[in-house]
Amino acid sequence: MNGEVGARVEVRSISKIFRRSRQVTQALASVDLCVEPGEFICLLGPSGCGKSTLLHIVAGFIAPDAGEVRVDGIAKTGPGADRCMLFQAPTLFPWLTTIDNVLFGLRARGAITSESRRQAGELLELVGLGSFGGHYPHQLSGGMRHRAALARALINRPRVLLMDEPFAALDAITREAMQNFLLGLWGRERTTIIFVTHDVEEAALLSDRVCVMSGRPGRIIATEEIALGRPRDEVLRDTAEFVSLRRKLRERLADA
Amino acid sequence: MSSIPASRPSGSSRLFDGVLPRARHWLISIGSVALGLVVWHLAAVVVVRDPVLLPGPLATAQVLIRYLSTPYPADGETLIGHALVSMARVLAGFAVGSIIGIAVGALMAGIRGFRAMVDPFIEITRPLPPLAFVPVLIVWFGIGEAPKIILIAAGVVPVMAISTAAGLDGVSNDMLNCARCLGASEWYTMLHVRIRAAMPQIITGMRLSVGLSWTSIVAVEMIAATAGLGFVILQAGQFLNTSLIFSGILIIAALGLAIDAALRRLQWHLDPSMRP
Repeated sequence: MNGEVGARVEVRSISKIFRRSRQVTQALASVDLCVEPGEFICLLGPSGCGKSTLLHIVAGFIAPDAGEVRVDGIAKTGPGADRCMLFQAPTLFPWLTTIDNVLFGLRARGAITSESRRQAGELLELVGLGSFGGHYPHQLSGGMRHRAALARALINRPRVLLMDEPFAALDAITREAMQNFLLGLWGRERTTIIFVTHDVEEAALLSDRVCVMSGRPGRIIATEEIALGRPRDEVLRDTAEFVSLRRKLRERLADA
Repeated sequence: MSSIPASRPSGSSRLFDGVLPRARHWLISIGSVALGLVVWHLAAVVVVRDPVLLPGPLATAQVLIRYLSTPYPADGETLIGHALVSMARVLAGFAVGSIIGIAVGALMAGIRGFRAMVDPFIEITRPLPPLAFVPVLIVWFGIGEAPKIILIAAGVVPVMAISTAAGLDGVSNDMLNCARCLGASEWYTMLHVRIRAAMPQIITGMRLSVGLSWTSIVAVEMIAATAGLGFVILQAGQFLNTSLIFSGILIIAALGLAIDAALRRLQWHLDPSMRP
């Protein structure tokens, strides 16, 4: 393992066209993006703008028609444990207990050791599910499932976390708790995070930089540095600085 | 619905989910079976009053218990012996049919063209009565065990193919991608996620198939059989021994229930969300 956890992610002139029967959709048109090690960026855009497609390409789930993805300078063509994706639904494996869900990555990679169980227990402790290791996913609440999914992702010590509107389906209170939880976690681990959202406030609150994407064909039309201090708490949401930033992002989004 | 972990409410609060509490569910079920027996008894003893047309439950039970251990004079075999013969045929046909059906279903889910190829055959064979195949199977395979097992398997294959394909199709892309980005290889993802996630639905297909296997046992044992419950029923019909017919039917019902209970147990084991 390198000293630094977060990796540099470079997206170089990625294009993607979807052909369904006779309909041709240009999902992404020559997208360039460079994410610094340990940076937290948000991809903000209207639904259907290809931000999710871009994330799937970075994860290696779909191949681009042109361009390439590099992680710390190494071109990636398929999925790998170095880039972990978190989906809108927690997608826990329903037949595994919470702790076995967390251990899945190690088992799949044949990296299980006598230490693994303790390590998984510690991660569950970290996400506040210390006493739920033996529960099955259907016995957990929505927020708990998301935290379990996060613990499952973290056991591989991924260098990049890809988050595809992970909190969009949660209620407002749980969402805010998960946002704060994620910020706290990122503050410690400094994993590179690419976070897809269509929520302006969420983008402004979480990230170092917001990339605003336009609708079809998807491309990055504006980049906004978020120069707010950290840690960011609830009080920040009401400051004039935050409100004007939010307005600026909303205007950019309206141009898209 | 997401539920509160740790302690779950049980008993009366379940009523609000539209599900009766377990104990009451059982009481009502047992009561309805008892009521059925009473109606049967009254119909036989008070209304029909002819044991050849309709023997009552008591008379049937008597015959059933007698021939469980004593061979029936006409064919020198006890009902237990017949049951074992039929059971072996059903299990063999079910096993062969399941293996072929699961393989076909997996190919349907995996290869797009294959499904288009196989679909019409499945749709054509599904509604066909097994009885229709008896003569042609005798012509092709003779009168040994082979045509009997093939007849049962033929009914199982389409059901297993459809439920396997549906189970594998139902596994979301996100779940597969999730396994991949946790470091699982394509092979590991296929084996430990896609197939594993489809297991409950495959077992559901098996439960349907076992029922189907038993429904064709009488047709199967029309193929020159000299033993088996279907054979007993056919023979007893010729001798107007109605209580023996009923005995055979009851044993088939009991065996069908027993296998289904075993499969349900297996399903309960494989699918934690079936448990409270």
